[in-house]
Amino acid sequence: MAFFAAAPCRARTHLASSADCYSLLPLKFDRITPPCHLNPKPHSVFCTLSKQTMAEHHLEPVVLQRPDSFGRFGKFGGKYVPETLMYALTELETAFNSLASDQKFQNELDGILRDYVGRESPLYFAERLTEHYKRPDGRGPQIYLKREDLNHTGAHKINNAVAQALLAKRLGKKRIIAETGAGQHGVATATVCARFGLECIIYMGAQDMERQALNVFRMRLLGAEVRPVHSGTATLKDATSEAIRDWVTNVESTHYILGSVAGPHPYPMMVREFHAVIGKETRKQALEKWGGKPNVLVACVGGGSNAMGIFHEFVDDKDVRLIGVEAAGFGLDSGKHAATLTKGEVGVLHGAMSYLLQDDDGQIIEPHSISAGLDYPGVGPEHSFLKDIGRAEYYSITDEEAIEAFKRLSRLEGIIPALETSHALAYLEKLCPTLPDGTKVVLNCSGRGDKDVQTAIKLLKL
Amino acid sequence: MAGNNLQSTISVHGRTLYPTCKLLNSSKMLGFSLQSRTDRGLIVCSAVGHNTLNSDELGLRNPTRTSEILELIDQGEKTLANSGKFGRFGGIFVPETLITCLKKLEVEFNWVLHDPQFQEELSIALKDYVGRETPLYFAERLTNYYRNKNGEGPEIYLKREDLTHGGAHKINNAIAQAMLAKRMGRKSIVAATGAGQHGVATAAACAKLGLDCTIFMGSIDMQRQSSNVLLMEHTGAQVKSVAGTFKDATSEAIRSWVGNLQGSYYLAGTAVGPHPCPSMVREFQTVIGKETRKQAMEKWIGKPDVLVACVGSGSNALGLFHEFIRDEDVRLIGVEAAGYGIDSGKHSATLAKGEVGVYHGAMSYLLQDDEGQIIGPHSIGVGLEYPGVSPELSFLKDIGRAEFYAITDEEALEAYTRLCQLEGIFPALEAAHALAYLEKLCPTLASGTKVVVNCSGRGDKDAGTVFKYQHKMEGEQAQSE
Repeated sequence: MAFFAAAPCRARTHLASSADCYSLLPLKFDRITPPCHLNPKPHSVFCTLSKQTMAEHHLEPVVLQRPDSFGRFGKFGGKYVPETLMYALTELETAFNSLASDQKFQNELDGILRDYVGRESPLYFAERLTEHYKRPDGRGPQIYLKREDLNHTGAHKINNAVAQALLAKRLGKKRIIAETGAGQHGVATATVCARFGLECIIYMGAQDMERQALNVFRMRLLGAEVRPVHSGTATLKDATSEAIRDWVTNVESTHYILGSVAGPHPYPMMVREFHAVIGKETRKQALEKWGGKPNVLVACVGGGSNAMGIFHEFVDDKDVRLIGVEAAGFGLDSGKHAATLTKGEVGVLHGAMSYLLQDDDGQIIEPHSISAGLDYPGVGPEHSFLKDIGRAEYYSITDEEAIEAFKRLSRLEGIIPALETSHALAYLEKLCPTLPDGTKVVLNCSGRGDKDVQTAIKLLKL
Repeated sequence: MAGNNLQSTISVHGRTLYPTCKLLNSSKMLGFSLQSRTDRGLIVCSAVGHNTLNSDELGLRNPTRTSEILELIDQGEKTLANSGKFGRFGGIFVPETLITCLKKLEVEFNWVLHDPQFQEELSIALKDYVGRETPLYFAERLTNYYRNKNGEGPEIYLKREDLTHGGAHKINNAIAQAMLAKRMGRKSIVAATGAGQHGVATAAACAKLGLDCTIFMGSIDMQRQSSNVLLMEHTGAQVKSVAGTFKDATSEAIRSWVGNLQGSYYLAGTAVGPHPCPSMVREFQTVIGKETRKQAMEKWIGKPDVLVACVGSGSNALGLFHEFIRDEDVRLIGVEAAGYGIDSGKHSATLAKGEVGVYHGAMSYLLQDDEGQIIGPHSIGVGLEYPGVSPELSFLKDIGRAEFYAITDEEALEAYTRLCQLEGIFPALEAAHALAYLEKLCPTLASGTKVVVNCSGRGDKDAGTVFKYQHKMEGEQAQSE
């Protein structure tokens, strides 16, 4: 049994070829970069590897199991958590699996998604945006927007929040905790807690609380308790660690609503499944609208939940291109970005093995993006996997390009997208000239941008 | 001034003659608003001699048999077709220059109502752009809150217009009219907005359709709803500030339109103004009521028993009510803004406290003083701050088909917080007025009564106002301690 103190440790993998992805061992180390601190910092999460992992692998082709029985996507994912949480995670996984086949739960969830969240969200043909991308000879792709911005609370986050709250209720948990960066996930969590009458505690970095005072107020209006986190840099990653710490202490009574497809198994799988409704609707709507499938799916990637939500349905459709767009902040070489899949290295953060932005000492690099939702130094393990096997492509967009796209969609379609979504929209500038005439592009419009207008105006005036 | 003849300074409508008028001693029978703006030699709103009969003479006040209401509704529809009036309300009180324009608009509007191609395009826009149908949501925790000790109480459903693109019902009308304007060959749109929701919706629709957009907004409103100003500018609209509030912005917008009748289109945001504006706006909003009927049938195989909606000028209320006006077993309840209190002088409860007169081109109830000058309304729900009201709602009040009550700022703020905490929905402060009325209504209703409240908009825009108000309250409390 290997024991690694002080995650995130930097684990270099040697992957000469993609065949190595299918190795029996979840990890291959050629070296561990010294020094690995023996005394863990208070905000780290321990990681352990148990014998179980290797035994269960057998000869299952990893690519078909997303995730496998230990929660791995290839070598990514897993459950790097303290012992106290292992039971809670297993309990959660069992509950989730049983509810997946529970018709009553499904009906209840469907009813809430329909009447409370406002699903299905439309697949909207963006005529003027399509026109904008036509080449001089009038040829170009057709751009469709999956309107997650129309959901209650204005983003895709609610799909997962509502389902997890319902799940928590089924488990008899009365107390919900969550972490939040800019406040969007916090507001979504507080919203569902109000709806279901659950106690709600949101951990938020003290610095973030200052910058997002109105979101803090909204969470409090919804009846949630917002607890400031002062440790570390007092931002999202510290809030996440604090939330995990609370969960360890109160695991019997408390459910932790993780906001993205990151974290220990079963979260990446669960959150993906709860967002998969996006992709399922897209398939149905594409068939209704043009009798076919989308050719290209584009989505922004922070933790990766909205992207997995739209991609998952189509991962096995090899003729559908999957494109994730991360935040390049001030530029990939500036050191101030959040382009984890482009610039990161493999390690463990918040319970899962995935790409992450870390320095030579295995310490997390503080990411930067103009959009708070993409400002995360890790990424969902399934994205790391899809990148490594070449199923999905990942690019990045700077703050400046994102703001341009933000303005563009507002002016051309009267839809103000979230700054996060604007990253995906910005990538169309590079993508569309390469696409043949009539290519059907579906972009996940993951949120609305009312919250970002002040920021955008400030930057546009400078 | 009894016996004075007051002739119309403008010809109202070729077909209807207004020979003489008696300004009766009791100004309750005929009030009028005189606002002449002579800077361009135009009289935007003017007093009109009007052959208004005493409503008692028509036997309107207390119809003894309910089927009388249906007859009155039928009569109302006839007068609408003939002269653009709902009974004695409505009409086309405008300068000559606008008559031809309005006639053209009426013709186009009637055409598109029956044009399958336009209807299909509109239906796709409503579905894919606006996000319709909006759900009819069973508010379980709110329903439980209103249950009495025995567990009895009505069932509360919310019609979720807050989930539309832009966050309010305004977009239903804005997108349809923008499409109409484009079809008429107009290149630029002019509109006035109070809370900013209509401005936001119009700006969005114009961006989508590639039309120029100018929004007039009162300077006071621009401060109170500054987030909406940013949203409008961001979607490419030009926002022009007008000293005052919505009523002043409306006058300015109409003046601007009159200056460019060929190229521009005045996009009315609510069911007021000269015919055909009230009917047009109501028609484009009636999708709310139509969906409600269908959804009620799906959910409980029946109709709603009570419909509740807030009333500023009346577009969201009419949007929900109109479908059901002939269903006499459906109660229609409009809730206005009582501001600081109905007797404080600082409110917008037009139907409760107003008198009949002409304003912005239509005859309706309005808040006016003894000299016929408009009283500046007040409400914490900026969208409810209008001194007039839709002529159609005035008509429904007069014939006893709809009931109207008023809710104070404080009650509305309480209702805002209540819905947040019980259902996780931020209602617009305007819609919060309708929700606040449930406090008075629910105890009177039989168990199982189906109540549908029009949640006409979302309240993200109001979080700042509520924040300030709560801090102010806390500050005052601390001081008194």
